[in-house]
Amino acid sequence: MKKVKLPYGIPDYNLTEIVREIPNAEPPALPVNSKLKVIGKRVKRTDALAKVTGTAVFTADVYLPGMLYGKMFRADIPHARIKSIDVSAAKAHPGVFAIHIFKEMIEGANPKENNKKSGYPEVKYAGQPIVGVAAISMDIAEEAVNLIRVEYEPLEFVVDMDDARKPEAPLVYQTNVNQETSSGGEDIEEGLKSRGNVRGPATKSFYGGPRGNLKKGFAEADVIIERTYRTQVQTHCPLETHGVVVDYNRGNVTIYASTQSTKGTRNDFAKTFDLPKSKVRVISEFIGGGFGAKHTLGNFGVMAGHLSKQSGRPVKLMLDRKEEHVSAGNRPNSLQLMKVGAKKDGTLTALKLLSYGTAGVGLGSGVGNIAQAMYECPNFKMDQYDVFTNAGPGAAFRAPGNVQGAFALEQLIDELAERLDVDPLQLREKIDKSTIRKVQRERGTQLMNWKKPKKAGSDPGPVKKGIGVAQAHWPRFVNLDSTVEVRVMQDGAVEVRSAVQDIGTGTKTVLAQVVAEELGLKSADITVLIGDTLFPIGPPSGGSVVTGSITPPARNAAHKVKTKLIDLAAGELDTKAENIVVENSWFISKSDRSKKISFKNLAGKLRVEQITETASRSDDYGGFMIGTVGYEELGAVQFAEVSVDTETGFVKVDRIMAVHSCGRPINISQIESQINGGVIMGIAYALYEDRVMDKNTGHQMNPNLDQYKMPFSFEVPEIQIELIEEYGARSSTDATGIGEPANIATAAAVANAVYNAIGVRMTEIPITPARILAALGKI
Amino acid sequence: MISFILNDKLIHTDKPAGMALLDFIRNEANLKGTKSGCREGDCGACTVIEGQLKNGKLIYGIIVSCLTPLGNIHGKHIVTIEGINMETPSPVQTALVEHNGTQCGFCTPGFVMSLTAFLLSDEHGFEKAREAIDGNICRCTGYKSIERAALEISEMKSGLQAGDKLNRLEQNGFIPVYFLSIPDRLKKIQSNREESHEGKLIIGGGTDLLVQQPDEVFEGKAKFLRRNRTNNGITFRSDFCSIGGEATVADIMQSEVLQQYFPKLPYYFKLISSTPVRNMATLAGNLVNASPIADLSIFFLALNADVHLTGENHNKRTVPLRKFFIGYKKLNKTDNEIVEKIFFQLPDENTYFNFEKVSKRQYLDIASVNSAISLKIKNNVIVDAHVSAGGVSPIPLYLKTASAFLINKEINVENIIKANTIAQKEISPISDIRGSADYKRLLLRQLTFTHFIEFIPDKISITKLLQTIKI
Ligand SMILES: Cc1cc2nc3c(=O)[nH]c(=O)nc-3n(C[C@H](O)[C@H](O)[C@H](O)COP(=O)(O)OP(=O)(O)OC[C@H]3O[C@@H](n4cnc5c(N)ncnc54)[C@H](O)[C@@H]3O)c2cc1C
Ligand code: FES
Ligand code: FES
Repeated sequence: MKKVKLPYGIPDYNLTEIVREIPNAEPPALPVNSKLKVIGKRVKRTDALAKVTGTAVFTADVYLPGMLYGKMFRADIPHARIKSIDVSAAKAHPGVFAIHIFKEMIEGANPKENNKKSGYPEVKYAGQPIVGVAAISMDIAEEAVNLIRVEYEPLEFVVDMDDARKPEAPLVYQTNVNQETSSGGEDIEEGLKSRGNVRGPATKSFYGGPRGNLKKGFAEADVIIERTYRTQVQTHCPLETHGVVVDYNRGNVTIYASTQSTKGTRNDFAKTFDLPKSKVRVISEFIGGGFGAKHTLGNFGVMAGHLSKQSGRPVKLMLDRKEEHVSAGNRPNSLQLMKVGAKKDGTLTALKLLSYGTAGVGLGSGVGNIAQAMYECPNFKMDQYDVFTNAGPGAAFRAPGNVQGAFALEQLIDELAERLDVDPLQLREKIDKSTIRKVQRERGTQLMNWKKPKKAGSDPGPVKKGIGVAQAHWPRFVNLDSTVEVRVMQDGAVEVRSAVQDIGTGTKTVLAQVVAEELGLKSADITVLIGDTLFPIGPPSGGSVVTGSITPPARNAAHKVKTKLIDLAAGELDTKAENIVVENSWFISKSDRSKKISFKNLAGKLRVEQITETASRSDDYGGFMIGTVGYEELGAVQFAEVSVDTETGFVKVDRIMAVHSCGRPINISQIESQINGGVIMGIAYALYEDRVMDKNTGHQMNPNLDQYKMPFSFEVPEIQIELIEEYGARSSTDATGIGEPANIATAAAVANAVYNAIGVRMTEIPITPARILAALGKI
Repeated sequence: MISFILNDKLIHTDKPAGMALLDFIRNEANLKGTKSGCREGDCGACTVIEGQLKNGKLIYGIIVSCLTPLGNIHGKHIVTIEGINMETPSPVQTALVEHNGTQCGFCTPGFVMSLTAFLLSDEHGFEKAREAIDGNICRCTGYKSIERAALEISEMKSGLQAGDKLNRLEQNGFIPVYFLSIPDRLKKIQSNREESHEGKLIIGGGTDLLVQQPDEVFEGKAKFLRRNRTNNGITFRSDFCSIGGEATVADIMQSEVLQQYFPKLPYYFKLISSTPVRNMATLAGNLVNASPIADLSIFFLALNADVHLTGENHNKRTVPLRKFFIGYKKLNKTDNEIVEKIFFQLPDENTYFNFEKVSKRQYLDIASVNSAISLKIKNNVIVDAHVSAGGVSPIPLYLKTASAFLINKEINVENIIKANTIAQKEISPISDIRGSADYKRLLLRQLTFTHFIEFIPDKISITKLLQTIKI
């Protein structure tokens, strides 16, 4: 171990240095960004040209010789036992090469509830795949699917969460279900009991369980507020749908996948098909977005595997937009009953959360992390229930649980501030111990010229303006299974390799930047090869883990290579290694700066064609924070300005000010783009997006982009971003992700602003014109 | 056989005329830069540029290839992203790179095509560049970086010297050189006229048909009305206007003469679908599709237009539009009859016309409720009135009683409220995904009031109107 002084704190605020004891193999401390050349700059995406010229090959674009097209027959009723399946006509259809019938349900909570007689799994949602077909063209595959006959014994079903909670509701599962309690997959509370369709309560998260004594807390309170909030089901809608091409070639399997986790996809496949991991290769060079839904192989991937194995040919299976909506994941809805107790001075004395949420046939729907961790409150308890319904399974979705949780918590805190007659930012000053959010509030206050909001609903005239603010909290997750290889070749080429994938977040570019910085090169000098499990395994692109997980090993591997090159240079320049500095692609002798050798020439002196070094993510410097409620997690503060037309009910977001931090920023433009995207997704969640289920048929009524409303560019308000650099001396790059925090506070900020405009709390989203008019008593 | 130019290649294909252009591009021509995101015209990932000769002039605009049947592109130039790739990136591509306008990149080719079409158009300025991307969804970037790129592109365009547009663009590296040969090459195909008028199914822009019944379009023989069209079909005679059935929403919106009569026309029509869909969607298709919320139907109902139909053996007849819709998706028209044109009187200086639409998303959305009105007023007395409303009945509704009521009435708060009360009796909204019945009733009331507030603000006090009403 060695002792190293690292930058610590926030520049222009409290920046100092801190001494950490770290392993000897770690590189020296990286100075703050203002002293760096490549890191922390607006570096262009390394793959932007491939994207703007349309030459980037996505899974949807992959074509292999002899490739077949897969299509799945899906249940068109929401709940049934399968009596029989007749695929004979489909099999006989010319051009059909393989047919596979699922023997069990792949998605959701997956208990093996098969019909004893037929041996087929029960249908639990409309759109559940039953049979797959592979044929020489998509048209033929579709024709064949239309020839499949399935005889059902229809069962009663329930798609509405409130209905599903009733004791007389039809049961989605007959047996207890073991699965995550949150939709992010971080929390697993084993052995939760189900009553009817309701499972839980889950009372714990990785932050621990209940704290203190609620009763005592509420007894101490001067003010108690109790409110109920509701959020809707949101679907991910990546522009590229889920899909794979599987080439099952005599036990050597190559999978092209639109995935957020090459590792997860590989491991799922190896397990499902009982193959050694070494026989399965997953390639994901370009991925058309994911937002959390693309972490696993998926039922379609399993199906494509069977079809390819059976036919001996590569099989492509991409979902269409409807399939994407109904079966590829969603953000569970929520019903949250919150109760807060506070002293007159704002001190929180008790916070209680009772929540229900449905992710359809699978996945937890816990929303309590943010309530548990954002504010100081000695007495806290959450009871989180999952409700099963006959609808497609949920999947992690950008800041799982926290987006729903923030919508409720941040409105409750806003209301508490109003009740205590203090500025909502002032109240947070009192109850929020996070330093980073403190600074963010200060910056935001200046930039917004923020004053205590005017009396809610006090604007004259039919169009009323309002302002609101809300905060975000997100753990600094890291994934230690993150490995990077750096190679330098005799011609001076530098290559970075990792199985980590780039779903659009810019992972390739940050890897290039970090390695370039370390080697004294430009990011354009670095070739980044990622998204292939032939390379060292990288983290999944979820939970905002990637940048914080993959950049430290990238720097460490580059540093190891650099150490070798410095030794070589020392020999060439006839000096000691300690006397060498690396600057702008030159290795220079410090004592005699005329003695130097260029990177390229030095590489030419390598004894072997290439040198290569590998490093894995080491433990956080100074120990991990995850697992305790701490106030040094990621934070954000977002402000919203809205106009509400009280005659038409239309809400227009005029402006968002997003104040964010993500440790050491690596690429400013990419971070800003993430924030813009997160804000827009939050606005859409607050105002438009809503998966609507038809209670009578059990089908989704808007499985398209026509009635499922995503924003176009005209809906985008002015978005201002204030990024605060922040050093925590946590790793060799000290970087963290930004994807999730960007999305957490927006809906709550908009809702608070709408309240300030019209004087009525919108406790349910999406805030549609009809809901505004109803809230105003106009319909 | 369908012939067209795909990028710089002349294509003759005997693929079915009902095949979606997107499938031809991706699967037959093996050009994978054009993406598929929804296949229903809603996302813009499949956007390509369509060039056609109109009155001898080559006009470019964007279309969504997922809803374009091959039959509609005979004799046209289709440009995909591969068709604008050059040795060095075009300024559009460079601007998107420089401003970090891509994340995952799946939407990017669509944005590149929309912005390139802006360059090829006669439009100028940032607002127009922004409008050019109004049909492109990006789920990742939040659009801000793309807008910055659009700003730069619009400034570059304004900086170009005068001269022949294609030449100028080519010289400045915006488009490849082969574009210059396209007009001549298209003329050669044009002369090679093809059987576009066989088959039972009538296809206009295909924006309803390819969403609702793609298989029928694919398999069936069809008449492709947007093929080989050389003018916009809009003509004027004294104070009457005639618009051909195949005129697109864009044709109508861009008609300078119509804009003189309807100064807010571009604003109204901006509320209809998106740039690429407006370039495809036809007037006749909108009427015949008979959706209760069809915007053009509502618009022209308030102009009391006549529909001119041509049936078998060139039999012609005329039906007032208000009698054209007879039940949910039922028309006073046989399957064989073609909507040749509509015919209506243009508003004079005493006529007030207004169109209003409310939908969930402000722009580019199907209406929850829409309404149009035209009133002829003399000395503050209404002498002629036509009011229409969509989304409140099984058909695009001509509000017969309310219109009749308004005639010979003075414009005042009381009469407006009465008109609304009457209109409320004529409608029969249902609750659906666009809103509850009550909500739609409320919307129609608001729209009715807005009509009057819009053109006679001095006579009608909003507050007074709102104070007096109770529904
Ligand atoms: C993304 C998207 C957004 C949309 N937004 C809107 C909107 O905001 N407002 C709105 O009103 N509509 C909207 N639409 C619907 C559609 O664009 C319009 O209804 C359009 O005008 C239809 O015209 P078309 O030429 O594409 O019709 P087609 O699909 O070609 O045809 C529709 C029907 O009309 C018949 N037909 C076409 N031409 C003739 C003719 N000359 N004579 C007789 N019959 C004919 C066809 O046989 C068919 O039955 C939207 C559609 C899409 C895909
Ligand atoms: S694929 Fe979405 S508009 Fe064509
Ligand atoms: S960059 Fe991913 S959809 Fe636009």
